[in-house]
Amino acid sequence: MVLTTSLLLLFALHLLSTGVRPDSRANKPSLLLMEAFRPLLMVESQMADEGSDFLHSYFDLVGVRQENLRLKQRLAELENQQRRMAELEAENRHLADLLELRDALATSAVAANVIGDDATGLSRTLILSAGERQGVHRGMAVVSVDGVVGKLIAVSEDSSRVLLINDHNSALDAFDQRSRARGIIAGVIEDGLTMKYVDRSEDIKPGDAIVTSGMDGIFTRGLLVGTVSRVSQEGPGLFLNIEVKPAVNFRQLEQVMILTVPVPAPPVSNNG
Amino acid sequence: MRLLLLFALGAFVALILQIILPRLLPSGILAPDLVLILAVDLGMRHPGALTAVLAFGMGYAVDTFSGVELGLNALLLTLVFLFAYWLSRVLMSTSTAMGVIIVFTGVIFTDVANYLICSRFAAAERLHMIMPAILIQAAFTALLTPSVFRITAWGSRIVGLRQYNRNR
Repeated sequence: MVLTTSLLLLFALHLLSTGVRPDSRANKPSLLLMEAFRPLLMVESQMADEGSDFLHSYFDLVGVRQENLRLKQRLAELENQQRRMAELEAENRHLADLLELRDALATSAVAANVIGDDATGLSRTLILSAGERQGVHRGMAVVSVDGVVGKLIAVSEDSSRVLLINDHNSALDAFDQRSRARGIIAGVIEDGLTMKYVDRSEDIKPGDAIVTSGMDGIFTRGLLVGTVSRVSQEGPGLFLNIEVKPAVNFRQLEQVMILTVPVPAPPVSNNG
Repeated sequence: MRLLLLFALGAFVALILQIILPRLLPSGILAPDLVLILAVDLGMRHPGALTAVLAFGMGYAVDTFSGVELGLNALLLTLVFLFAYWLSRVLMSTSTAMGVIIVFTGVIFTDVANYLICSRFAAAERLHMIMPAILIQAAFTALLTPSVFRITAWGSRIVGLRQYNRNR
């Protein structure tokens, strides 16, 4: 057993140290697993939505007397029905918004549902219901009606995984819409975003909108990333410390749009 | 073989729950690491070459749905499996209480290692900011350990496996 475990540890270290390429053999089982989990995740994510409603109802009803409880349960049933209808309506509205967004971006895009979260919670990734069969590939940009969501890091036949922009491994080129100061948006381990490498002489204020520059060739220029929440000059560094509040509420994300056409990088200019 | 299939099925269900649960929990609370409980159970009560491979496989499956480093959770879960095996042999105990302690320390170890390796140790000085969430997750996971052990024991009985003596 010790020999087997040692070999497994060495293999895991090898995977880690070499960094598995998406087309490598070691990545194939991972994509097959994603595919195997997809149908269950689709069902589970629907059940989870209903389960969430149930939990909230439960907490609301704690402490209420028996009779009151019975009446409230009846009311809750009716409300659940109403919520389901409202849910369908909201979903329709959301899809219509996504269609509008696609038209506005003038690019080809695929709509996808969010069907799962990150398995450990330490990284910020989401599982989506669209894959290669829908024309989706690794590295494509994912957006929502509110703004930038992230980019695809793994794609199987019918599902994919998106690395959110607030993950600490994520980075994208962006600029301040008002002052045109450019920087790199990166995720923060606790939560939120930070804008790095912005010179101290730049004019950035809380409330400023941060948008994508399009320089990375992934995100279309001008997509909303978030708004500046805090600017400081603490520490001895050359750059400003800028905190950015994401435009997208990642926890409530249900539908997203995957941009299937690569974005041509705009010409380089000094003012972003 | 029946044991492997039982735990593979358990890992499948546990992983599904880990992917779904975060949406139900309040912000800042990490979902319990159910797969790790299974790895500890395997290490303590069913050590062997094949179960080590299964622990590695469970970690690899977690890697499929978490983070960007393929192999990281495979490495960490194999280490937890090995630690559970070693500690249960050294202390000559495979009791549930021992399992709870190993799970608690195992969650803290895997989370801290995950955090440090993913950030290439660049965010080590900010570790204290995420520690409360990790400790809550470790406590929550440890609390669920007796129930998961009972479920695996029940599953073992159902598929006709010999029961492990918990009082050893």
